[in-house]
Amino acid sequence: MKNRALQPPWSRIRYVTPRFQGPAVLAFAAIIATGGAIFWKLVDSEFQRVFLHAAIRGHYAFDSAYDIIRDLLAWHLAGLFVGVFLTGSVLVLLLVAATRHGIGKAVDSLRASADGDLSTPTGTGSISEFGRFGEKIDATRSDTLASVLKIRSEAAALAAGGISPEEFRLRWDELKHRIRRIAP
Amino acid sequence: MSGPEAAGNGPLIHRRYVFGLLLRLCVNFAGGVGILFVILYFTLSRPLPGDYAEVFHALRNLSPFLRPILAVSVLVYALLACGSTSALCVYILHKVAGPLYRMELVLDQYRSGTPTRTVSFRSGDQIQPLAQAFNLWIGTLRRDRHRCLATMKDAERHCLQDEATCRAQMEEALRKVAEDMAKYH
Repeated sequence: MKNRALQPPWSRIRYVTPRFQGPAVLAFAAIIATGGAIFWKLVDSEFQRVFLHAAIRGHYAFDSAYDIIRDLLAWHLAGLFVGVFLTGSVLVLLLVAATRHGIGKAVDSLRASADGDLSTPTGTGSISEFGRFGEKIDATRSDTLASVLKIRSEAAALAAGGISPEEFRLRWDELKHRIRRIAP
Repeated sequence: MSGPEAAGNGPLIHRRYVFGLLLRLCVNFAGGVGILFVILYFTLSRPLPGDYAEVFHALRNLSPFLRPILAVSVLVYALLACGSTSALCVYILHKVAGPLYRMELVLDQYRSGTPTRTVSFRSGDQIQPLAQAFNLWIGTLRRDRHRCLATMKDAERHCLQDEATCRAQMEEALRKVAEDMAKYH
């Protein structure tokens, strides 16, 4: 039977990142609101004109007000849908491009790190969330580089000689401990 | 994830994911426009009175009511469309935001010195190459760490012989360690 007290505390992974999803939601809301406002403005003026024209023309061959504006309404609704969808699609494509660029840079940076380059900046700054993520990667790489450089200089210093056996042994053990702490 | 060497070059964002997002947005916006149509249809499809003069007056008097009717209809459309699009955005974009958040946690753990496990995202998640690249890097670091420790352990074995040989072997091992670490810059 597993000892529950020894298990790490269960933490819920938050899949809502306001810094990433928030601006996207706001941008879509702005598109919808703008589309709605344009639709309202156009349809209002058109309907006023059409109803007035229908009233003074006579020959009322329709049963309801809807019969008068059916085609006009259909065209405007189609325009609203196409306009909002196309603008939304452009936004989606921009988001995808920004993600590809930002995360692509992070991936390139990690791959370069595997080849030993821990100092070249990641440079992911197209969306603030990716910029922050890139900085985090850079900080991690920088920590690793600092630790590696310390190990290298200590190893070189010990290899140079001129140290008493007791001190050598002490620093040797310390160096081993430091190496063990790389990528724990 | 089969190991650090298996760092794939798969796409960061799959085309299927983008098309799925566009399709859902299309359905979402179409639904919004449909609701707007239904509201306007039910408002404007009431039969006009039968008499000629009454129809004339009804059409003339429709204008003052038209603006608020349209305003409320568009407002309902905007609220419904914004709500459903927001929910859709949060649901769809968590396939990018989730892995990003998870990677941030892993990076924080790594920096704090907590043992880091191999990172793998859920099957439907995007930006999979990020996890693979991170695993590749950590794998390379661990391989170098093992090599250095093995070199030092090997040198320590000579300490069973005389002191001078032991020291010479240790210094040789240290030079090797410094050489191994020299690839990092």
